[in-house]
Amino acid sequence: MAASAIKPPLTAEIAASERQWIARGLERCSPLAFAGWMAPWLILLGVGIYATYLCLRYGLGATNLDNRFGFGLWIFLDLAVIALGAGAFFSGFLLYILKWKEIKAVISSAVVLGFLCYSGAMAILAIDVGQPLRSWFTFWHPNVHSMLTEVTFCITCYLIVLTIEYLPILLKNRRIKQVPSFLVFEWELHKLIPVMAGIGCLLSFFHQGSLGGLFGVMRGRPFAFREGFAIWPTTFFLFVLSAAAVGPSFIILTTKLVEKITSKRLVKEQVYQTLAKTTGVLLTAYIALKSVDTLIWLNSTSFNAGFAPWEYYEWKPFGGWILFAEIVVFGMVPALMLLSKRIRTRRGVIVLGALLACTGVVLNRFVMTIQTLALPTLSFDEFMTYMPNWVEFAVFGMVIAYAVIVYSLSYRYLNLFPQEKELSAGNVEVNDVPVR
Amino acid sequence: MFPFVDGFHWTFGHVLFLSIFGIVLAVIAVTLLVSLRRTARESKPGKAEAVRWKSEFHDLTDDERRCRHDLAGRVDHRHCHNEFDCRQCETHPKLASVTAAEFDFSTYGLDYPMDRFYHRGQTWVKRESDGTLTVGLTDLGKRLLGQPDRVNLPNTGDKVFANGRGWTASRGGVEVRILAPVDGEVIATGGPDSEFYLRVKPLETNPNLAHLLRGQEVSGWVRAQLEQLQILVTPAGSTASLADGGVLMEDLPKAQPEANWDKVYGEMFMAP
Repeated sequence: MAASAIKPPLTAEIAASERQWIARGLERCSPLAFAGWMAPWLILLGVGIYATYLCLRYGLGATNLDNRFGFGLWIFLDLAVIALGAGAFFSGFLLYILKWKEIKAVISSAVVLGFLCYSGAMAILAIDVGQPLRSWFTFWHPNVHSMLTEVTFCITCYLIVLTIEYLPILLKNRRIKQVPSFLVFEWELHKLIPVMAGIGCLLSFFHQGSLGGLFGVMRGRPFAFREGFAIWPTTFFLFVLSAAAVGPSFIILTTKLVEKITSKRLVKEQVYQTLAKTTGVLLTAYIALKSVDTLIWLNSTSFNAGFAPWEYYEWKPFGGWILFAEIVVFGMVPALMLLSKRIRTRRGVIVLGALLACTGVVLNRFVMTIQTLALPTLSFDEFMTYMPNWVEFAVFGMVIAYAVIVYSLSYRYLNLFPQEKELSAGNVEVNDVPVR
Repeated sequence: MFPFVDGFHWTFGHVLFLSIFGIVLAVIAVTLLVSLRRTARESKPGKAEAVRWKSEFHDLTDDERRCRHDLAGRVDHRHCHNEFDCRQCETHPKLASVTAAEFDFSTYGLDYPMDRFYHRGQTWVKRESDGTLTVGLTDLGKRLLGQPDRVNLPNTGDKVFANGRGWTASRGGVEVRILAPVDGEVIATGGPDSEFYLRVKPLETNPNLAHLLRGQEVSGWVRAQLEQLQILVTPAGSTASLADGGVLMEDLPKAQPEANWDKVYGEMFMAP
């Protein structure tokens, strides 16, 4: 009896106190429900931290990676999240450089996603490369002939840019902004964000491209090797274009997912249409160029390297289906779905199109990393199969859990979707105001 | 890589790469330093309040930014981009002279005396014969707060700034900041049981109150506010119905305690 008399006020007190951190006008679930949502992700994070300890303590021996297959699940995850995180730089480009005002509705969420993708990628790189305490070597003694040097410098700088872009969103928290100097700093930073957006575009263009160029310049891996312009192989440009194409799609997917989980409308339909159309246009351009590039590779580049291209696809499970899936199923189909207004305005098409587009680019990164490394290139070489062990999956899961936790906290305590308040009010049907 | 590291060779590639990288880092550093410098300059009490208002105005929706002349029926779908400071608006004097056609003036049963100027944060200002300004809460503002549990008024001698914090009030555990409608020095304070909240000596001899609403604008604004209030206090999932022309109750939180008053106060008093 006594316990039940004490409990409700205590819970109410916690809820009221926590409410002071949530922006006015935004409805959020109870602290208890939120804790329930976070619990499994925190467990996954904990398991991942233990796996990270094993990796740093025992090196690659703790994983299924070896000297022949030195990069696996993690490098695939790196390339995939960096491509998906391109929504941050590309939406910044659309809003601050091209002045597409509609993008304002998702820019904060895009910045948080970008920050999480890049910081997650950096964290996993530190584990993958190992010896994180010596990471400064890469800046001090870099190999100036390596595309990775450019990637390292650009990604580091871009993570700094994303952190600066994240700051104003964070400082706008209901309680934090009560501190006058934080509020003023937020406003002053906010005014200069277009500069950061411009720098972000420059850095993203080069590191997204260099990540592609990294594979395109590998003469020793003719499956990935491509001709190009000057020092840049075609994969440089294809990576930039594909990342820009799926950035908006990833924003659509994450926003729709948050809407589904929270049962709220966060963004107006017109914003989704704009993002979807942007993906449609860019994906069409990407797939057209990718098709031309593939045809040149099939008919010329591969033969010049001493390999008939179909040989690559004889190694199962990497059959010709993977090329068909990448270009047609996850390329042409979503491009058509999102490009045509008549099709994309149908119910559910935007989500399906965005999902296919993102899958296509993720598959492309898988092909460029895992398939490239698995295929034999020397006469005494063998086809390698590789399956990550639990440690690799746990570290993979840790990065996902980290992203979900930080995004959930950001969504709860920061105003990531400026249209949410308006849309939640609009959903409520008008009733009488009490009158006497 | 760097000139001071062993093995460095001056090549075009090195110079280009280092130059671009150096420029990028310099731009990032300068941006941060400029922001910090401006922050140090603008963090003084009066200026910080002005920045707070700019930041909050920036986040208002188009509906919340409706121009006073739109409210008065003089123009259609016009939004403010001047932080509701019509003294800075070039179009305001031209539109102010336009007479709206067929405008139905009403304050919907609420008391909005026409000898006063109105601020969108639910306050009014009245010029007194001795040159001072009296500041009070509008009828709608009073009904929204009902009998507040606590009111924190500034001290006599304190300065208040237009769109900055005037005073705070709390009701049912929800605190709300009431925006000051004018710049001035507080010379007397009232409260919920008084006719006014603040008496202010303006910072200028003949203060320009052109940023405050008057006449037909007040009617349009009250209508928009009542429509907004209807949406805000409606319980989620209830069926739609229209107001029947009655008058708002005097103590709304008491009449509808289940409404989200944190949200209502935030929107109605412009305190996000």
